[in-house]
Parts: sequence; structure tokens; C-alpha cells
Amino acid sequence: MTAVIETRTLSKWYGNVLGLSDVSLSIEPGITGLLGPNGAGKSTFMKLLTGQLKPNIGSVSILGRRIWNDFGAFAKIGFCPESDAFYEEISGWEFLTGLLSFHGFSKAEVRARAEKALDIVDLTGDKDRRIRGYSRGMRQRIKFAQAIGHDPEIIILDEPLSGLDPLGKRKLIRLIKDFRDQGRTILVSSHVLPEIEAMTSRIILIHQGKILAQGDIHFVRDLIESHPHVISIKCDDARGLASKFVNEPYVLKLHFGPDGDTLVAETHKRDAFFGRLNQVVLESGLKVEEITSPDDNLQAVFDYLVGK
Amino acid sequence: MLRTVREVFTFFFFLGKRSQKLKVFFLLSLLPVALAIVVRMTFMRRSSEVMSVFQEILMVYFLQFLIIILTLFYGTSVCSEEIEGKTLPYLTTRPLTKSGIIIGKFAAYTALSAVMVIVSLVASYLIMSFQRLGEAATYGALLRYTGVLILGLMAYTAMFTFLGTFLKKSILIGLVFGFGWETAIQYFPGSTQRFSVVHYLKSLLPYFSKGKFSLLMFRLEPTSPVLAVLVLLLITSGFLGLACLFFSLKEYMFED
Repeated sequence: MTAVIETRTLSKWYGNVLGLSDVSLSIEPGITGLLGPNGAGKSTFMKLLTGQLKPNIGSVSILGRRIWNDFGAFAKIGFCPESDAFYEEISGWEFLTGLLSFHGFSKAEVRARAEKALDIVDLTGDKDRRIRGYSRGMRQRIKFAQAIGHDPEIIILDEPLSGLDPLGKRKLIRLIKDFRDQGRTILVSSHVLPEIEAMTSRIILIHQGKILAQGDIHFVRDLIESHPHVISIKCDDARGLASKFVNEPYVLKLHFGPDGDTLVAETHKRDAFFGRLNQVVLESGLKVEEITSPDDNLQAVFDYLVGK
Repeated sequence: MLRTVREVFTFFFFLGKRSQKLKVFFLLSLLPVALAIVVRMTFMRRSSEVMSVFQEILMVYFLQFLIIILTLFYGTSVCSEEIEGKTLPYLTTRPLTKSGIIIGKFAAYTALSAVMVIVSLVASYLIMSFQRLGEAATYGALLRYTGVLILGLMAYTAMFTFLGTFLKKSILIGLVFGFGWETAIQYFPGSTQRFSVVHYLKSLLPYFSKGKFSLLMFRLEPTSPVLAVLVLLLITSGFLGLACLFFSLKEYMFED
């Protein structure tokens, strides 16, 4: 497949602070997830891709065009920014038609496209309300609508699921997948692994301005599996529970929390641990109050990857 | 480029009409109308005194206050409101030239300011010229005042637009310039006063030496009208060009 987005030795810094370092990659049609903890450089990368920032070193090309100050390229790009920022005094309809008119469409076409985009994001009924009065979910959806209204080939979404409720997230993920099925290129950033996992298996891992890995999401899953994992279980018989795990080869450490009711286990095979835990709970009728996994997040994986 | 200007103008003229800022400024611009009614009622039959007061209002309120405050807030906001409101990506990730964005917003905000100023000027002038409404000269003078204020709006808005493209605290610098430099320098003798915009605007108006506020005018050493218009147009195009250049080259970061 031909790369739609290409970067070569792309680097960006803000004074002495490194934003992005030596990023060379190719992005093909379909959904690509840009995954990294907060402050990893995801937004910097997206701003460079959308020509909002100029690279200090290297280049960005989209559909073979250098993007910085090439305003013509934006006819084929839809961008959904991360910030919750709008022209608050106007309605969703006015916002959408106003931005669509910037593409040079006729008035009739602007209206038709705006209606279609509002329909896609389920905002037709609220199109005449001022954006100031929109809920967080509606604001995210109108932001998404402005990114897709002009029917772009490339859609760049910076944390689009942030602030959405589970139902809203599911709807948006479905929409993103619909665009993928139409053969478009979608780059979506998130710091939440399951969100990306729900959309695509193709990911780019970014941390401290550097690309750590690019490829299949199972790679990250494997890392999570092999990475020593801490699981905390609060129950009515923590010591009894510990006895069921003490002989398991994948359990590296067991100890109790200060309250005495919490078992803290360290394992390098998370799935096996949870499988056994389910079995024990069902067999013994143990009353489990809480299961937490303090380091079950991307930051832990990244820390592990960079050897912290 | 022209397409960009037209589309940006249409959007921001509409957006500007919806803003709270417009309502406040519109009320502010109507003050001379209220004053004109009071003056008209006070000096019912003394036409010359009424016109003298109008000239003071024109010099002090319109030229040295209203157009500066309007252009300061609208001019600096051409760029800074997009950065502070984090809405800039909605414009810069569209097929719009960056110069077109600046010129389109400049034109929209100048037009909005012009509507407010002209409504106020025409209404207050006609109220005060009530006894001379049948004379052609009345309308000639009105056209002249309108032209001067529009030139002033354009020049100041361009200057403040330029400040807004590269300064974070452009409004503070603009305040110092608009109400400090522009006022103080008028009292300097010789060619120094030519380093202000207001000098060229006053050079286009009839020489008023009567009235209580004549102190504000007595040192004026006017530039010829043709040269004054040229300088004002040069200021407008020069600063607008610089604003476009800065906006095209500069990267804007949001504080988050």
C-alpha cells in the first residue's frame, strides 16, 4: 500500500524542550493509532502533520505535498483538535456551515454537506442551539463533524474520545471505523490503550518525543504480559486467597496491604493470574470488594520499555 | 486569495455581529447621539455654538477615543482571539491563505467598527445640524468627516492587527500607543507630530480654533490633504502587509 503520510527525520523543539525527535515513518490508508502518555509528543506530531508547526529538522509530506504553508493541501485533510475550543456564540449549524464555506463550496453544497455531517454525528436536532449550551459529548461530536464535513481523504483526530461517556465513545469509534471502510486514512491519538485497541491494531508508540515502536498492537499486549504487573485484591479472606496463589509459577511476589484485608500480588502473566483468580473466587465463594491494578496503564508499559 | 478574504470576511462579520463586545461598543458609540440631543435642546437656536460643540465631539470623542478604543480591541483580536480561544486550527487547517485570513478578519472588523462609528456620526451630526439640513454644504461636511473616520479606522486597525500578530500583550502596548503617544505627541511642535496617525486625520479636517477645547488643536501644523490621505493609506497597507507576513511565518503555540 502507498504511504499517504510520510515524515523524515522529523524533529521539533520548543527552546530547550524537546517536542519530537527524529521521527521517520509512513502511514498508510486505514486507522493508525498514535499512542502515548500525556506529554509524549502526540499533539506536537499532529500539529506538525497539519502544518500548524514548522519542523526544526526533517520534513512532513501528505499525499506527496510538503504541508507547511501549503494551504491547498488542506482540502484533503480533516483535523479535529484536542482542545475544547469553539466560537461559542454561534450555533452548531452556523459553525459548521461557516467552516465548510472556507472550502469554496457553493451555498447549496455547504448546506448539504453540513446536514450530512450533522446527521452522521447525531446532532441534527440540536443544530440551532448555541455551542455554548452544548454538553461535552455534543461539543466533541460537532468538532468531529467539522473534521469530516468536507469529505477529506485524511482525517487526523487528536484525542477525539476524551471526555465522552462510554456510549458516546462507542458511537464515535463506530463512525471512525466507517470512514476506514471507505478507504480513508485516519490517524487517531490517545493515551488510553483500550480506546485505540477498539479501533485498530496498527499503532505508533510515542514517548518523550520519540517513536518507540510502530506496528501491531499485540506487540504492546505482549509487553504488558511480560511486564511485572501489580494487582491488588481487597476481600474478606486475603490470607486464604494468598494460599491459593503461592504455588503458582507466574506469581513473583505476594504481600498484604496495611489493612490486612488486601492481597497485593506481582505477576508477569496477567491473563493467567486473572484466570486463576476467577476460578478461586467461584470455587471458594470469596467476597471480593475491590480489584485494582495500580500500574495497568500505558505509562507503566512505557516506563518498562524505556527501562525506568 | 480573494476567495479566502471574501469567505473569512463573511464568517467573521457574522460572528462579530453576535459578539457581546459589539453590544458594549455599540452603546459606547451612541454616546455622542445622546450628547447631541442634549446640546440641541440646550442651544436650540444658536446654530454656530451647536456646530462648535459638534466639532469638539468629533475631535475629542470620535478621533481620540472611540476609533482608538474600537480599533484597539478589534485590531488586536484579529489574531490574538484565535490564539487565546485556541480556535486558530479551525482556520489554519482549511484551504485558506494565511494572508487572506488576516485581511478577511481585518476587513470584517473594520466594517463592523465603521458601521458603529458612521451610525453615531451621522445621527449626532444631523441632530446638531437640524437648522441647516437644506444646505448642500451640510452633507459635504458629513461626507468629509465620514471619510476621515473611515481612514482612521483602517489605519489604526491595521496597526493593532500587526501588534496582535506578534505580541502577547498587544492590547497593553496598544493602549500606551493609542492613549499615550497619539495624544501627547500632538502637543509637540514641528515635524514630530507627523509620527502620529491622528496628525494626518486632523490634517484632513477643517481647522477648528474656536471653543473650549481649542488647546487640543492650536499647535497643529497640518500636512496637505493629499499627502495625509496617502500616508494614511500607506500606514494601512504597510501594517497589514507586515501582519500578513508575520502571521504566515510565525508558529503559534497555545498555553496548555
